[in-house]
Amino acid sequence: MDNNAMLETILKCNRCGTCQDVCPTYQVSGDEFSVARGRLRLIRMGLENKLDLNNEPDIDTFINQCLLCKACEVNCPSSVPTAKLISDLRENYTKLKGLPIAKKVLYRGLFSHNHRLIPIRKLTRFYQKSGIQGVLKVAGVFPSINNLIPEMPKFSVKDRLQDIIKNIPNPKKKVAYFLGCSVNQFFSQVGEATINVLQANSYSVTVPELLCCGAPHQSSGDIEEFKRLAKYNLEKLSGLEVDAIIVDCSTCGSILKEYDELFKDDLKYKEIAEIVKNKVVDISVFLLEWGYKINPNNDNKMKVTFHDPCHGVRGLKVKDAPREILKKIPGIELIEMKEADMCCGGAGSYSIFHPKISRKVLERKLNNFNDTNTSVLVTSCPACMMQLGYGLRNYSIKGEVRHLVEILAEKL
Amino acid sequence: MLNKKNIRKLTELVGGEDYLVCTKIPLYTFSYDASQYFGNPDAVVFPTNTEMVSRILKYTKESGIRVVPRGAGTCLSGGAIASNGGIIIAMNKMNKILDINPANKTIFVEAGVTNKQIQNAVESHGLIYAPDPASMNVSTIGGNIAENAGGMRGVKYGCTKDHVLGIEVVLPSGEIIRTGQLMGHNDQIDLTYLLCGSEGTLGVVTKALLSLTPLNSDVVTMTAIFSDLGDAGQCVADIFASGVVPTTMEIMDNTLIRAVEDYTKLGLPKEAAALLLIEVDGYPSEVQGQVPKITEIFKKNNAVSYDIAKNENERQALWKARRSANGALGKLKPSMIVQDVVVPLDRLAMMLKNVSKIADKYGITIAQLAHAGDGNLHPHLLYDYRIPKDVEMVEHACDEIFREALAQGGTLSGEHGIGLEKIKYMPVAFNEASIKFMKSVKEAFDPDNLLNADKVLP
Ligand SMILES: Cc1cc2nc3c(=O)[nH]c(=O)nc-3n(C[C@H](O)[C@H](O)[C@H](O)COP(=O)(O)OP(=O)(O)OC[C@H]3O[C@@H](n4cnc5c(N)ncnc54)[C@H](O)[C@@H]3O)c2cc1C
Ligand code: SF4
Ligand code: SF4
Repeated sequence: MDNNAMLETILKCNRCGTCQDVCPTYQVSGDEFSVARGRLRLIRMGLENKLDLNNEPDIDTFINQCLLCKACEVNCPSSVPTAKLISDLRENYTKLKGLPIAKKVLYRGLFSHNHRLIPIRKLTRFYQKSGIQGVLKVAGVFPSINNLIPEMPKFSVKDRLQDIIKNIPNPKKKVAYFLGCSVNQFFSQVGEATINVLQANSYSVTVPELLCCGAPHQSSGDIEEFKRLAKYNLEKLSGLEVDAIIVDCSTCGSILKEYDELFKDDLKYKEIAEIVKNKVVDISVFLLEWGYKINPNNDNKMKVTFHDPCHGVRGLKVKDAPREILKKIPGIELIEMKEADMCCGGAGSYSIFHPKISRKVLERKLNNFNDTNTSVLVTSCPACMMQLGYGLRNYSIKGEVRHLVEILAEKL
Repeated sequence: MLNKKNIRKLTELVGGEDYLVCTKIPLYTFSYDASQYFGNPDAVVFPTNTEMVSRILKYTKESGIRVVPRGAGTCLSGGAIASNGGIIIAMNKMNKILDINPANKTIFVEAGVTNKQIQNAVESHGLIYAPDPASMNVSTIGGNIAENAGGMRGVKYGCTKDHVLGIEVVLPSGEIIRTGQLMGHNDQIDLTYLLCGSEGTLGVVTKALLSLTPLNSDVVTMTAIFSDLGDAGQCVADIFASGVVPTTMEIMDNTLIRAVEDYTKLGLPKEAAALLLIEVDGYPSEVQGQVPKITEIFKKNNAVSYDIAKNENERQALWKARRSANGALGKLKPSMIVQDVVVPLDRLAMMLKNVSKIADKYGITIAQLAHAGDGNLHPHLLYDYRIPKDVEMVEHACDEIFREALAQGGTLSGEHGIGLEKIKYMPVAFNEASIKFMKSVKEAFDPDNLLNADKVLP
């Protein structure tokens, strides 16, 4: 959006205050500068040249503290797209100033070249296993990343693809599985579960060689890099002869579905993006639509609750499917937690760059989990899994975080 | 302007930097409420208990610093704005529920709790807190009391002041007083009613004891569609005249229906001139008797069609639509003034029509919403503040609406308050003697004129 269009959009905010009710950063702070209405006010003053947005260090803090969780957007009676405005603003800022160094290392250095995550996983695992976790902190760039990273798997999903992928004769459907960076490297058990569940239900699976979906780059405003990644992925994905593109990472899924918006001025890619968009589907929705089986004899009693990832409930608009699946599993009792669809504070690398407010948002989520008295916190996005898992470990809360597909894979 | 010493002292009084805002950028986010007014405070303090509020007010009195109380900042008349600098006392972090007594049907809360917090806390006891302003999800009980907020259920259950049993208030001197059922032996006169609706000009509410209402077992929610706005107004008057007392009677005009439908996608009739939302509650036998009476009156007033919500989901959807009415209009124009005039019920139909005529006369868009059961009209005047002609026309239209309401035997404000917005109409609505009396009350409470100083009184 250009500045004029941005201003016209912001003027639709009539300061009704409704967003206070749903904005996680306001809910935990009570500060007007931490709610959509306040953020919009500051942006508006910038656009009206009453503030120099690019040279106020404070502005950067207040605007970047937005989780981009979109809770305000879907609840705004005036439909003001606050998260979208803030990403656009970050884009302009990044164009002008470049990325802060830490983000550059993290995003361009690591996620853009996802093979570089391999040594990270291996090193981290080595440190975790050898008991000198503190060493990572010495790296200095991201002091808190050490606590965040879950127990590292020995192998990535890609390492093991040859063993996992099976030939399915007469498949019910042919699907491609979009294997995201985080699942591949940090939660390989999730990726394996997804493939296993699909194959066990007679869907044939291919796992194309792709790049990062671009989520970290988008949220930090590095649009140039975001476009490069998107183009590559679109070309690969559109060349596949499959019925659906399955995602088990809500973030990747909703970003893939935003590619058409990214290329709204580029007819060629826009067209491809639309075709791809229509094929991208969350695994829970896909299974509900095309069928799956559950072993009726495996009815271990288990109380679970479900946390909606922002990118799931508001990005992919998936809310009921995972719940329907959980409810139908014998032995499982689903107990809804309060504010299930409120952001957990993970928001990609947010917890690394805004530790204080991220912690408060997380604590609120953990309290809501505790109140359910369940032992399993089910969700469907690795970014949430990382944040929630960290929360349970760090606060010594009994319970485990699991992806929906992990549970399904056990019940095959 | 505050000096360094003031800031240091205030920081000390609220217990640290986390509870005070005094830097430029974050202060800008306390420069507005939901009205068209802006004004930057010099500092914002967030007290967390009554004694802090008291110490702050003692200090501001000593130092001659102006003070504006603030809750959630959803005021529609500019009441929460620091129009002449000074400090804002933001009460929203004083937000604990202190006690719920289901047997006595009371709840005791700090002033910063939101109306929704209260509703959620009492729901499991089969109780409600009856006042339910459309801003209930965020507006605070302190703000509700200060504005004597009304709600959709107001027709049957009354407004805020009918449910306040007692309050704790810090006076501009720093003195703490308790009223009503909270009164101790030293307190003499019950000031509850005087303070309810005093718009933060007489004292800062810190705690409140509120009465709760049993949730009625049976609720029926109905909508009727009209091709004429006046018919909808007449329908409301007729329902009342028939002896039925619904909990809610809300009218939305065509502009509002379209704006709300854009957001909620409920399938509201975008062509209709008016939509009337009615809810009745009570024992099943009571309710079942009322429904046919009401539908009869719908027909008599030429309703194009009517409908009854089939389940709780449908009912909630209608309520969400109604609550989003004010916000949804933001999409149409960047600025909006919400009027709040009240007319006698038998004049409602005429008033609705006359407001439409005023809109045509000045060539502006006025979206009409009415808490029809109370004769309370909310014409929403939409304009673009960047177009001088728009601003001028809206001002003329405002004047004319007020004059019209007064001519019909009505008043300036039902529930949104006078604030900054309606001061200029006070001399039209009240005679000199009344205004003089109001001023003397203000002076008795706040002789230095420091608390919400430029509001309400001309
Ligand atoms: C979308 C929308 C819908 C609304 N619907 C309704 C409605 O249906 N009915 C209705 O009556 N109003 C309605 N309002 C107006 C507004 O929400 C109410 O006036 C509400 O009571 C204000 O509460 P608040 O906490 O936001 O107070 P604020 O806006 O922060 O303050 C309002 C006034 O109260 C004073 N004040 C705040 N807290 C205290 C305190 N603790 N002690 C003393 N003074 C205090 C302030 O100085 C100010 O003058 C609506 C507003 C919006 C934006
Ligand atoms: S809900 Fe929307 S219109 Fe209302 S204050 Fe928030 S952003 Fe503005
Ligand atoms: S996107 Fe989330 S954090 Fe950001 S303003 Fe909206 S609700 Fe608040």
